[in-house]
Parts: sequence; C-alpha cells; structure tokens
Amino acid sequence: MDTLTTRPSVAEGEPATPQPLTSRRIRSDRAFFGIVSSSGVLVLALMVAVGVFLSYQAFDALQARGLAFFTTSEWQPDRNQFGVAAVLVGTLLIALVAVAIALPLSILTALFIVEVAPTWLRSTLVALVDLMAAVPSVVYGLWGLFLLQGQVVGVSRWINSWFGWIPFFKVNGADPTSPLSSASVYSASAFIAGVVVAMMVMPIQCVVMREVFSQVPPGEREGAFALGSTRWGMIRVVTLPFGRGGMIGGTMLGLGRALGETIAVLLIISPEFVIKFRVLEVGANSVSSLIALRYSEASGFELSGLMAAGLTLFAVTLVVNFTASWFIARSRSGASSEA
Amino acid sequence: MIPRFVARRRTVALSVVVAVGALLAGVTSPLSAPSVAAENYQRISGEGSSWAANAIDAMRVNVKQFGITVDYNPSGSTAGRKNFLNGTVDFAASDIPFQFKPEDGSAPESPAAGSYAYMPVVAGGTAFMYNLKINGKRVTNLRLSGENTVKIFTGVITMWNDPAIQKDNPGLVMPARKVVPVVRSDGSGSTAQLTKWMIALHKPLWDNYCKRSGRAPACGFTSFYPTISGMIGQGQDLGVAGYVSQGFAEGAIGYVNYSYALSSQFPVAKLLNSAGYYTEPTPQNVAVSLLKAKINTNAADPSVYLTQDLSGVYTDTDPRSYELSSYSYLILPTKVQGQFNEAKGKTLAAFSYYAMCQAQQQSESLGYSPMPINLVKASFDQIKKIPGAVVQSINIQQCKNPTFAADGTNTLAKTAPQPQGCDKTGGASQCPDGTGGMKNVPTQVKPDPGNGGPPITTPPTTPGGTTPPTNPGDTTPSTNPGDPTPSTNPGDTTPSTNPGDPTPSTNPGDTTVTTSPGGVVPVDTTPSGGCDPTVGCDPSVGGPEVGGPLPTTLSMPTSQVTSFGLILLIVLLVIALVVVPAFAWRYFATKRMPT
Repeated sequence: MDTLTTRPSVAEGEPATPQPLTSRRIRSDRAFFGIVSSSGVLVLALMVAVGVFLSYQAFDALQARGLAFFTTSEWQPDRNQFGVAAVLVGTLLIALVAVAIALPLSILTALFIVEVAPTWLRSTLVALVDLMAAVPSVVYGLWGLFLLQGQVVGVSRWINSWFGWIPFFKVNGADPTSPLSSASVYSASAFIAGVVVAMMVMPIQCVVMREVFSQVPPGEREGAFALGSTRWGMIRVVTLPFGRGGMIGGTMLGLGRALGETIAVLLIISPEFVIKFRVLEVGANSVSSLIALRYSEASGFELSGLMAAGLTLFAVTLVVNFTASWFIARSRSGASSEA
Repeated sequence: MIPRFVARRRTVALSVVVAVGALLAGVTSPLSAPSVAAENYQRISGEGSSWAANAIDAMRVNVKQFGITVDYNPSGSTAGRKNFLNGTVDFAASDIPFQFKPEDGSAPESPAAGSYAYMPVVAGGTAFMYNLKINGKRVTNLRLSGENTVKIFTGVITMWNDPAIQKDNPGLVMPARKVVPVVRSDGSGSTAQLTKWMIALHKPLWDNYCKRSGRAPACGFTSFYPTISGMIGQGQDLGVAGYVSQGFAEGAIGYVNYSYALSSQFPVAKLLNSAGYYTEPTPQNVAVSLLKAKINTNAADPSVYLTQDLSGVYTDTDPRSYELSSYSYLILPTKVQGQFNEAKGKTLAAFSYYAMCQAQQQSESLGYSPMPINLVKASFDQIKKIPGAVVQSINIQQCKNPTFAADGTNTLAKTAPQPQGCDKTGGASQCPDGTGGMKNVPTQVKPDPGNGGPPITTPPTTPGGTTPPTNPGDTTPSTNPGDPTPSTNPGDTTPSTNPGDPTPSTNPGDTTVTTSPGGVVPVDTTPSGGCDPTVGCDPSVGGPEVGGPLPTTLSMPTSQVTSFGLILLIVLLVIALVVVPAFAWRYFATKRMPT
C-alpha cells in the first residue's frame, strides 16, 4: 500500500509538470494509421478537387453573367440570357416535396422496425428497406413515369380541388368543375417528381433513424414502462426525444440526396424555366436534370453555364450535408454514432 | 484419366460448335455477301436521332447474326452530331445536316472538312400522334390542316372544339377539351424538320410565337422547341409518345415518327396536303412525297452532298403526298478520328451495307419508307469513303428493296393507293377509318347529308377482316363502302401513269357507296338506331337487322381477362422475387448464428 501512494518527488517551489507520456507505435500500427489517415485526406482532397474543377469550368459563365446568374430564370446561353433562379427554386421544391412525404414515412417505418415489429420480422424488414435503397434511380424514374404518374394525377387533382385556395396548391388552367378539363395540367409536375424522389430518399432516412432509435438506453425505456407508460407513451417520452438529433440529421441527409436526384426527375418533369411555387402544376425543373438534359448537346459556353449551375448545386448540397452532420454530432444519440 | 476425359469432351463440344457455326455460315451466306459471315468485327457505337431509332434498332438486332455489334443511343440528333464532333461515338444519326449557320442563335457546328459523309438511311413521316376521346370512345380519324397544326403548336388554338378544327372534321363533334401540345425538350431533328415546315408555310404564325416564347429575335428553324406555359416537353420520341399515350393525357398531341405511333398503338392526325386531301404518313405516301425532295448531287462538296431540300415536298400537289416526309441520315466518318479506327471502319461499312440493302425490306413494316434506288446507289459510294471499308460488290436488284423496279422508278410510290374521296377537304363528312397504330379501329362519323343519300356511318372492314364495324346500323359487315372502288380510282387500275392526276370523283358522296354491293340498304341510324354520335351509342339498341352485340365489344372482356391474369402473375412474381430472398437470407442468417 505504501508504495502505491508515494508521491513523485517534486522540487519545492517549482510548479508541478505532468510527466511526458510518449508511446512508440509499432510498425503495423503506423502502417494502419498511415492508410486510414491518407484515405481520409484523399476524400477531402477529392471534394476540394471537385469544387476547384467546377469553379474553374464555371468561370466563363459566371464572369459573363455576374450576379445576374442567380436572378435570371431563363436558360438561353447562346444569347447570354441564362441563370439558375428557376432551376434552383425547382430543385428546392422537388426536394421539399420529397422530404415532406418521406419524413413521416421513414419515422414511422423506423419506429415500427425498432419498437413494434416482432423479432422474426425485424431483419426481413430491414433487408427490404435496404433493398429499396439499392434500386437504381432510372428504375424509379420509369416506374414513376409510366405507373405512378397516372395514379398521382388523381391525388393532385383532389388536393387542388379542395386546397386550391392555398397559393402553393393552386394550378393555373385547372378547372375542377369541368368534366372535360384536361388532367394533363396535373402531370409532369414538381409534386409527381417529388413523390418519386421520396421513394428513393425514404430508405436513407429510415436507416439513420432506425440506427438512432435502436440506441435508446434500455434503462430509460424500461423505466418508462415501469412507470406505467404505454408503448406509445414510451416512444413519445423516451425514443423520440432521444432520437431527435438523428431524425433531423437523417432528414437532412435525405434532403441532400433529393437535391441531387437526376434521372428520375428528368424522366418525369416537363422542363420549364419559370420561377413558380405551384407544385401541382405541370412543368418543373431542377439543376441536375437540366445538366443531364443539356450536357450532351451543349456548346462550349453553355457547358460552362451548366458547370456554374452544378457548382451552385454543389454548394447547396455541401451546406445541407454539413448542417446534417452538425445536428447529428450535437445530439445525444449522435455523439457516439456516426450515422 | 479425368483430365483426358474432360479434354475429349471439350473437343467434342468444340467440333459441335464448329459444325453448327459452319451450318449457320452456310445458311446465311446466300443472304449476305459471303465475306461478311465469318469476319471478326470490332464493336462500334453510334448516337443520335430518336426519329430513326426504331429502324436503326431493327438493323442492329439483325446484324448480330453476322457477329457485328452496334451500340446505338437514341439521344436526339443534336446530341448525336455533337458527340460525333467530340469523337466519342463512331457514327452519328441525324435528321438534319451539320448546322454551320444555325438560324436560332445557337453555336455553329464546325466539323473538319472531309471528315464525314452523309448517308440517307431511312425515310419517314413526322406524325402527329394524339390522344382524344369523344364520349369515351377514342377518335382514330382526326384530320388537321397545316395551318391548324401550326396553330396548335404555337398556342393559338387551345381547344379541340375550336371552329377551325371542327371545320377540318365535319364528321366529328369535337369535344370542349383543352389541347395539350407535347414537344421535344431535347435537341431534336424532328423539331428542326417541324419548325422548318412551319416557317416555310406559316412564317407569321411562327414568328409571332417565337416572340411570345421569349426566343426573339432568333426565330429561324431550330432543334430546340421554344415552349410556353401549357406545353409539355418530353425527351426523345419515346418520351413524347409515352406521354401522349398515358390515360390521363387526354387532349394531348405530339410529333413523333410514324413508327412510334404504330408501336404505341395510337392514331395519328391526317394532314391536309396541297392537293386538298388529308393524308397519313404511310410508307407509300412518304415514298410518293419524297419524289419531290431535291437531293443535292454535288459530290464535290461533302458538306452538302446528298442533303435534302424539302420545299418541294411541302407544296406537292399529288393527292397522296404527306407534307412532313423526310429522310434521316447516318453521318459516317471518312477519316480516322477520335476513338474511330480502321478496324471499326470495316464494321461500320459492313453495317452500312446491310442498312442500305437488306434492312430496307423491313422498313415498311416498322412504319418507315424504304430508300429509292438512286439514293441506295449513292450511299454505296459514300460507304467506300469509310477508312478500312471492305468494298462489297452488291447486285442492287438482289437487295429486294420494295421500291426498286426494273426500269429504275420507285415501285412503292407508283403503287401507292390514291386517297379515298372522303379524305378530300370540303366534304360534309369524313372517312371513318382508323389511322396509325389504330388502323383497325374506325371512328363513327356524322352522317353526310350533302348527297341526300344514306350517311357514311358504316366503317369499312379491314382487309384482314379483324375488326368488325361498330355501327349498329350496319347490316352487312362484309361490305367495304369506305374503300374506293376500282371504278372511281384510276390509280388502282392503271398504276400511276399520271400520279399528279387526282381521282375523278371529287365529291365524297360519290365514293361512299350508297348501296352496298350486297344489296342491303344501310339504315339511317340517327333516328331509328337511337345512335347519335353526339350522345354516344349503345350497340344493343341498334336496328332490328343487327344481330345482337358486336364482336368488338364481345372480344374486349376476354382480352381484359387475359391481361388482368398476366398482370396478376407478374405482380406475384415480383413480390416473390422481393420477399423470398429476404426471408431466405434471414433464415440462413439465424441458422448460422450460434444460440
């Protein structure tokens, strides 16, 4: 006992300095550290390279248009009349619709998988949701174009006829009272594109949320039950507050994916270069679908314009994703998990 | 022991393969040039026109038997030309030549001189495919004048019951439905052909539209259709056809190649030509129309050689002509450039020979028109310019091209039937016959009071007799009143000695048979049959002569049942495909886990 409690001898009057604690890494450790850190740096370098490349390519167009690039909605690069105002608004609208639909769906799916589903069903459901994430986006696009659109047009019509007084749900040219009115004013809209994108975003959000919900400390959960809580009560007071950060983070990650979705959107929308917030109305646009549509036939200068549009989207996506990781890291559940 | 046994088995298998290969080569060689059969070809890739894509796809599939693999991406003519210039594809397909001086203000394309050659590969018509119903029944015999078509695609006419459209269709009661024009959103040769035609015939309408759409002052012909609110833009012919054929897209009309209307099983609008007849872009009519296309024969200038000037087609006065007929081209490389090399040139040349010779037999069934003999000959010379091309000496008469006649004229154009009298403008009614992909489905038309005679309510039976008439008033399903009788149509009896001569019977009342050959007098259905086209028809309340419900309506349920069963089967299969692996995976995962 004595030897253990002996204080190290320190000269009187001098401040106590901590003993230097050095550890020499063995070779395999160093190699591992080298590989891991270099791949981490590589990811960062890639991001920077993408940013630099886009800025470099976009320089011509940005210089020609200046700030007007962000306020012009037309897209006629050959006449020097182009900007991202309309496509950016369209991108955000499609993403918002997608998240608005995917969010409740993914929260409820995650809660069902973690809290309600019997054990034998759980892994099957997890596999199924993961499978949804693995379906290529062109498949979703074709499915949305040929199957879903015909069904969703009816939903759009219903929303428009009952909630058309909300400017957001207004549809110009729609006449719900006329039996001969064309249903095509509801087709090829931001709403339909958003519904399809929601199907692609949902699994990503669901995975994050499921991960977070499953980390709820069993003690708190059982405590809630012990206090006489129902299952719903337990979810309300324990699971949801615990997983709030993960829910926000997952949503933002999904939003990031929704902003960049290309082919499915391209197949469904009818491109239109007008700023409009009427999501149910025919005609929409998004940055990535504009790039996909025009890339293969663009002249040199238009290509620069497309790169500038891409740069804008890149910046928006970066902001969204950084916000997401900030939320996840700050939350109680996210501090330990890197979702 | 075992290796030797395997080795022996392998040699047996090999010899079987060789034997089969030899057999195949023996079978195919009489059809193609013998040198083609056993060659070693490099894979080539092309991109461009979606207008011509159905024909090119059929060719690609067919040349696989010779070991030729061709990839083709129908991403639009503009993208095809662009990527040809970038050197990322070996050949391009485009409906229009390179745009050295584009009129729409877009950047000029500047291919290196002597690096390419045009080869016309298919002919066809740009058709207006539409989705329109009257009283829940699909209209299949819509007629449009050129001016009304331009007005539809420039947003001047917005309703189907516009008096101008009603005037084109005296036999129909046009519904008060909105017109939804569907245009191409990508750079497209069909858009270029359409806008060129619009500008040639109705420039003021187009210029006005161009201003309204914010595209002024660049109002020349363009590959990028300017859109206004209310128009739908879709990518590629497939996208346009796909949109128009959707159930919710009632009222939509889009421009696609005729072949897409056939494959979508949708009708196309009959377009009024300069002779005063409403015609459909059938392969025969296209062949007739393109007799008036001026082909540039200046072989010294490869940038224009074999290109088309269609202004003669727009104003052709042959009653069979269709104004929006045109050729589509392959752009062949004549220099080693980009990823293109001589080995690929050999493949491309073999593919091109096939495309110009054997493949032309198939064009008609796809909805395209085969190339005439002069262009096939010229194309053979163009193919020789491909680096690495193995020149084939093809006896041109062996190509079995349906347009070739011994005397060098175009057989298809010669034998093209004259339009029916009821297709002439100014009549009191119109032909009930279906068009495009719904040829066999006639539409009931209003009676023709002009003659005082019985109405043209009876749709004709098709030659195959697959679709019985749907008019309850008809008592003789075997009659074919809509068909021009030989006596009224000189084009049938004396094949086109004078194609410009219109049929002597200019009055539709003349050609529509007043008394059926069977001797049964058609019944005026409006009063007695209780069948008014404006209100809709119930086949069961037909005249007393009608023997019960019609076979068309009878056959519907059975087809529905089979299709429903098929859908159910597919759904079950898909569900099984999704669920079974998941369950199996879970089962094995839990089994492996130690408990």
